[in-house]
Amino acid sequence: MTELSVVGKDVPRVDGLEKVTGKAKYSVDIKLPGMLYGKVLRSPYPHARIVGIDASGAEKLAKVKGVVTGKDAPEERVGHIRDRHILARGKVRFVGEAVAAVAAESLEAAEEALDLIKVDYEELPAVFDAEEAMRPNVPVVHPDLLQYALSPLPYPLYRFDSERPNVYVHRPIRKGDTGKGFEASDLILENRFSTPMVQHSCLELHNAIAVPEADGGLTVWDSTHVLHMHKADLCRLFRLPPSKVRVRSLYIGGCFGGKAGMVVPGIASLLALRTRRPVKFVLSRDEVFVDGTSRESMTITMKDGVRKDGTLLAREMRLVLNAGAYSGTTALVTKNATFGAVGSYRIPNFKLDSYGVATNTPPTGAFRGFGSTEVLWAVESQMDLLAEALGIDPLEIRRKNLLKEGEEDVLGMKTTSTGARECLEKVAEWLEWNKEPSKGEGPWKRGKGIAVGSKYTMPATRSVVTVKVHQDAAVEVRHSAHEVGQGCNTALAQIAAEEFGVSIDKIRIVFTDTAVTPFDAGTVSSRTTFHTGNALRLACQDLKRRIFELASERLDLRPEDLSLREGVISSNGGHKTMKISDLFAPIGFLLKGGELSASGTFTGPLEHEDADTGQGKRPVTYYAYGANAVEVMVNEETGEVRVVRNGTCFDMGRPIHPKLCEGQMEGGLAMGIGGALYEEMVLAEGEVLNSNFMDYKCPSSLDVPKCGDVKSMIAAVPHQEGPYGAKGFSEGGLVAVAPAIANAIFRATGARIRDLPISKEKVLKALKSISGKEADMK
Amino acid sequence: MGLKQLIELRINGEVREVVVEPRTTLLHALREDLGLTGTKEGCNEGDCGACTVLANGRPVCSCLTLAIEAQGKEIITIEGLDQDGRLHPLQQAFLDHFAVQCGFCTPGMLLSAKALLDRKPQPTEEEVREAISGNLCRCTGYVKIVEAILAEAHRR
Repeated sequence: MTELSVVGKDVPRVDGLEKVTGKAKYSVDIKLPGMLYGKVLRSPYPHARIVGIDASGAEKLAKVKGVVTGKDAPEERVGHIRDRHILARGKVRFVGEAVAAVAAESLEAAEEALDLIKVDYEELPAVFDAEEAMRPNVPVVHPDLLQYALSPLPYPLYRFDSERPNVYVHRPIRKGDTGKGFEASDLILENRFSTPMVQHSCLELHNAIAVPEADGGLTVWDSTHVLHMHKADLCRLFRLPPSKVRVRSLYIGGCFGGKAGMVVPGIASLLALRTRRPVKFVLSRDEVFVDGTSRESMTITMKDGVRKDGTLLAREMRLVLNAGAYSGTTALVTKNATFGAVGSYRIPNFKLDSYGVATNTPPTGAFRGFGSTEVLWAVESQMDLLAEALGIDPLEIRRKNLLKEGEEDVLGMKTTSTGARECLEKVAEWLEWNKEPSKGEGPWKRGKGIAVGSKYTMPATRSVVTVKVHQDAAVEVRHSAHEVGQGCNTALAQIAAEEFGVSIDKIRIVFTDTAVTPFDAGTVSSRTTFHTGNALRLACQDLKRRIFELASERLDLRPEDLSLREGVISSNGGHKTMKISDLFAPIGFLLKGGELSASGTFTGPLEHEDADTGQGKRPVTYYAYGANAVEVMVNEETGEVRVVRNGTCFDMGRPIHPKLCEGQMEGGLAMGIGGALYEEMVLAEGEVLNSNFMDYKCPSSLDVPKCGDVKSMIAAVPHQEGPYGAKGFSEGGLVAVAPAIANAIFRATGARIRDLPISKEKVLKALKSISGKEADMK
Repeated sequence: MGLKQLIELRINGEVREVVVEPRTTLLHALREDLGLTGTKEGCNEGDCGACTVLANGRPVCSCLTLAIEAQGKEIITIEGLDQDGRLHPLQQAFLDHFAVQCGFCTPGMLLSAKALLDRKPQPTEEEVREAISGNLCRCTGYVKIVEAILAEAHRR
């Protein structure tokens, strides 16, 4: 890769100073004159008909300025499958569903008002388990499923089954003949794995502030990562023209996919339009667990056929996603999770069915990995189980089956820009894979585990970026990608600085304001660097062309003989120069033309995909490939697991900012440790029992290895379509952590856990059954 | 609901007046009444540390501290860390080591770190981890935060 000036360097974050001084603003920090505070009343039942609501008590309170219920809410629904009203109409489908909302002059008054709203429910039978919900003759969550509108998508997704009315998406993949593959196999291995519901636990609570405008329009400050999607939904919900709806995001205090839902900005907007005053609606922490679109629980069954040398011949998989009461983005997760099963390995015969199922549990949605984390939990655990059964080294079985550059994957997509192999070798080398772990002390046993990961970026999404050059040669970038902490503002500033040959402090970033910044599909799917970055490059190149045209007239040279660096336009020999500011009159207008600005549009590829087999030339835009190698200590008396060493290596194409990429690997490690060992939302009869940070354990600084024992590495393989060869990254840091840990636990103790999280109880139980078996054999 | 009272708080070396009820938390008073939004609300239950401020040099959860309790104490918030535009060395260390991502835990994290280094200038890595164990971070995985704090300790 060629050396560049700014791209590829660890420049200071452009938002760093604001964030360390407490000056950085998040939408939750905003306070407006006349602002009211919103709060929501929630259903105590998992499935019930709303017989009646009497809000008169609440309406009488002096400080209460508006009370709304389902009849006041938009008839239009939200979600990929448009199945959810922002306030329940007629029925509630999960414990915690919003049935009424109030806007009051203080939060305390709003809470008091909720206590005075009387709701009459008629309970209905409910279903909580996804497998049960797939059977006939069970309660149906959405009897009108087939009548719901569907948000348009350019690839197949929706598939309903009238025999199984709670199944709303079924995604099949078919390749070859698994029956024949199994016949030819030396070993067949079946296993069932599961992942629980987990919560993103972003530090910034979900919030939105909606402001009614005098012309009947709406401005919404939104803590989200899908600005323009939310704008489109608000227009649709409230029947407002796009020109009258403005959505703005400031810095986002974490998202991890959890802030795509429309309920929070929708309810804020409903109250604002109703009261004609600004309304701030913030979820409490326990509300985030219940209605912040947590990650769905999933069961994954796998059946593999292998030759005794470890070659995979056939694989069958069945995924069941418990999507909860409303499908949200889980409809798409049901499809996209399957990419985690096809991105890494060569499998000649493959059959997969993925089902998204509705139940009367809290609605779910996107979570870092978008299904890959859950699927890789199964796939990478299974690879070690195969290795064990065959007596092969886990590293060796992966080497044998990893896709090579140019090979077609299970879906028919050619594998390009893959550093998978190099990542695997690098983490194995760093962890000294072939060296036995040091002997543990007392009840502690040590073990090493490895796992491969891939994270796709979804196809056919669009980004538009506008660039403007100011009189002082500063470059202003206007984009709608969200700065959620990953550092996209910095990476985009680097790209702009590289394009214009300026230092990064000459770049201005204007972000996420639909009045100013053009369309972006959103900060999802690890797509921003590639799509928004490419759009930015195109805008920069177009603008430079314009600048050179203007300068060529003044310099009497051809535009193609000019170059631009540090605000100076010069001929290629260097003898003729002029400054950007020379194109302007001293008072500030451009001497010829209106403004020095240009826009660039980049759309990800879209190829035909077979709805019944999943086969297609380009079902994803690209994969980031990587691996984790981890060393754990397991206490055989208590079942406690400690992760003591971790090496992560990822190929994200050329890293725009290596330290920011490291940050994603390290953050992914901690989140992965949480998911592997501690995190689980516990439900009883559809009610979340541990909706707080005391009972739901996110990892603290004590739960990750020492700094010297964490190594984050990059094995970049440039992608020829990406900006400067970059792909996209951030989710990948999470996806392979849990199986690496489970594999290490197995190699340390022989205890194999297939259901996350790997709690102490599960470890002890597994150890007990091993010693029981050993006792039996004596 | 209780009787509102006018109280005086010492915030970042200045006396500030604020009208509060007995049940008003320091967090609420800082953010809503004093416009000091650098201190963040993450859970309002004392479990995440995003609301950490220093009270007489000790890190406390301002969501678990009543505003009236904070009277007579020296309260330092994130806004009080930089002086006349000059960053506190810990803030610089966080920047140099890329210890900030979304930034929401950062104010609380910096104050916990400052409290540690003020009382123990040369902590071990274990002591650093212990000192910030009440500050949840979901983005960074803590690695660069610990590195930044240790680097600043070594620099002193």
